[in-house]
Amino acid sequence: MRSVNLLLLAGALVLATGCRSGQNATSVAAGRAPVTKNPVGPVPGPAANVTYSVDPLLHDPVALQDGRRLFNWYNCSGCHGGHGGGGMGPSLRDRVWLYGSRDDQIFSSIAQGRSKGMPAWGTKIPAQQIWELVAYIKSMRTPYEPDPPVEPTNEMVPNPQHDTVLGEGTQTSVSEAK
Amino acid sequence: MESVARLLGAVAVGALVVAGPSLAQNKPQNKTPNGMTTNIPGAIPGVHAVAPVADGQWTMPAGDYGNLRYSPLDQINTSNVHNLHVVGVFSDGIPHGHEGGPLVVGSTLYMVTPFPDKLIALDLTKPGFPIKWTFNPNPNIESQGVACCDVVNRGASYADGKIIYATLDNHVVAVDANSGQLDWETQTGDIKYGETTTMAPIIVNNVVFVGDSGGELGVRGKVTALDLKTGKILWRAYSTGPDSDVRIGPDFHPFYAKDQGKDLGVKTWNPGQWKIGGGTVWGWISYDPELNEIYYGTGNPGVWNPDMRPGDNKWSITLFARDPQSGMAKWAYQIEPHDYYDHDEIMENILVDMPWQGKERKLLIHPGRTGFVFVMDRETGQLLSVKPFEPVTWSKGYDLKTGDDNVAPGMATHFGQYTKDICPSSTGGKEFVPSSFSPKTGYLYIPAHNTCMDYMGTAVNYIAGTPYLGASVRMYPGPGGYQGELIAWDVAKGQKVWSIQDKDFPVHSGVLSTGGDVVFYGTMEGWFRAVDDRTGKILWQFKTGSSIISDPITFTGPDGKQYVAVYSGVGGWMGAVALAGHSVDDPYADLGTAGAMRKLKGVVEPGGTLYVFSE
Repeated sequence: MRSVNLLLLAGALVLATGCRSGQNATSVAAGRAPVTKNPVGPVPGPAANVTYSVDPLLHDPVALQDGRRLFNWYNCSGCHGGHGGGGMGPSLRDRVWLYGSRDDQIFSSIAQGRSKGMPAWGTKIPAQQIWELVAYIKSMRTPYEPDPPVEPTNEMVPNPQHDTVLGEGTQTSVSEAK
Repeated sequence: MESVARLLGAVAVGALVVAGPSLAQNKPQNKTPNGMTTNIPGAIPGVHAVAPVADGQWTMPAGDYGNLRYSPLDQINTSNVHNLHVVGVFSDGIPHGHEGGPLVVGSTLYMVTPFPDKLIALDLTKPGFPIKWTFNPNPNIESQGVACCDVVNRGASYADGKIIYATLDNHVVAVDANSGQLDWETQTGDIKYGETTTMAPIIVNNVVFVGDSGGELGVRGKVTALDLKTGKILWRAYSTGPDSDVRIGPDFHPFYAKDQGKDLGVKTWNPGQWKIGGGTVWGWISYDPELNEIYYGTGNPGVWNPDMRPGDNKWSITLFARDPQSGMAKWAYQIEPHDYYDHDEIMENILVDMPWQGKERKLLIHPGRTGFVFVMDRETGQLLSVKPFEPVTWSKGYDLKTGDDNVAPGMATHFGQYTKDICPSSTGGKEFVPSSFSPKTGYLYIPAHNTCMDYMGTAVNYIAGTPYLGASVRMYPGPGGYQGELIAWDVAKGQKVWSIQDKDFPVHSGVLSTGGDVVFYGTMEGWFRAVDDRTGKILWQFKTGSSIISDPITFTGPDGKQYVAVYSGVGGWMGAVALAGHSVDDPYADLGTAGAMRKLKGVVEPGGTLYVFSE
């Protein structure tokens, strides 16, 4: 208990120091325009009614088609998979969002880039196109997804060219040793 | 090691006693007239390794320059291999593909991890093999985003008291093998242009050879030669561009007319396209000390859409023989001109001297993605035999007279439409995971895949540092009800002797053969196996923690006992689907492997572990 008290005391001192330097500790957010409107990390302080940017093109069928096209044109598909299933970059079809799943957060990831190698596309392409990409990404695994992935329909037939008859020796089945 | 020396000595003495002094005079053990070729105890008459095989240590990626991955050690053999048990386990905590294998020099085992490419030295003199030191090169984290096929590393080489390897962000590092201190560091590529390095360098006569990766990002393939003492770059041999850049000069004598001509690395492309033309060198390099040549294969041409790059696209998908000092090419053979399938041919080139159709020949044996085993004369680059080892639909078979690959009618791929039922798929009849050749059986042990695909060229833009792919690919299991097998392939007869089929997964581990008549390999489900080298009978197996996509090695410990070591840890291209951040509902994901490998999800989890076994 004593150590906890000490910690609290230390915290109070820090706050007091803050006051002395002329800043009102409670006014960090109040009365000022926030620096960012699309935070990636958690927002400090008590829950507040913050509104985040929403993709203006969500569910717009033309934007979805454009987003799908841009997904290939900007080589997003090369990293994230032909239909976003992953590859060099992470899957966009699963439920894992390293930097948040809100429209504005996906926008940020595309615009700002990410440290493990996601390029910062905001330096190269207009916001409109980024929103189209966001719309397409958000449509994955929904009925609105344009050009969804389809399974190959063809079944392989045995290839007569290939000699499957083995020579002398034994063909061992895996079960033998188990 | 001592025991190996004793063993070799015993064999030599035995030979003298049995054969008498005349043999000793006419045929000195382990040496040809120029002192390089090595005879191996128990080898088939006439079968010679071109360089000493792993003698108890394991100092280079394949164990030997000829890439046999054969060790004469025989303490562990068919009669006692069932006693194998774990004597050392080491987890590096990295949830990515563990390719390549460790080195053993003296009484230390060296492990290179996937990104962040740590070098970890384990002390083999102490129980449990504790860490001696760890070297951390701190590679740029952005390099992870330009690595095509997981953030892998395929190993290191040892020479002159140094462990040499390359980091994902293209830094070749030389680390003092005793102290773990950095000796030198040289950058050989730039991730801003999509270059990464994953291959294991080899060292020949104070020269370090390192290739590059990034064939899916529009890089220009190359081999860089560095000075072992200082790390200074001596020369570069590019896989595309003018002859001066490819290091082609008056000594260049390709066997086939199709590979002859001036500046083919420029003329077989649309203007300027060779600058982003791929042909990366991310596999294995072998070396023949007698002919004094290095051999390696190059990767796919970029972009994957073949209609965007008319021409032969030289020198992608090509086998090169080069002088190791000057880097000048001796011969080249382009296995697939104008690639339609992403059939990189960077696989192992196994160098053996052996009787071939009644005559002693200097062979280069290359099993690869095409689905064929190529047997070539490594002095000339002539094809001697090209036989399929897995179902092949893309080619009607190679023409040994012209070297032509005979693409089957209707099997070329194009922009905007799927070409279907292409076998093998881009990942090949086998991937980079290396085969082994046993001079005792004359068999090549091939870790094979049976995977086919549909492939369509798509539009793509070159944007530096991003993928330059241009294809939509979906893979699926091939015909026959199995997806992989370990094949014993009789090289002289050109046919399969036995195989151990795997119903659900490709066999995607390297193979090790030994003087104890035991072959070691692993499965994607994580089984590590010992197999009778003549019959394919599974003699022993152990379930490791994750997939085995690495290359097993064997060595003699400081206590004189034989050990076998292997990494377990899923990942790479074939195993990507089992990693975090990969979905199975998109068969086009992971550059097309997701469709063929989805069953792996839920069968294994990622995580890297080194296992050491002894009997």
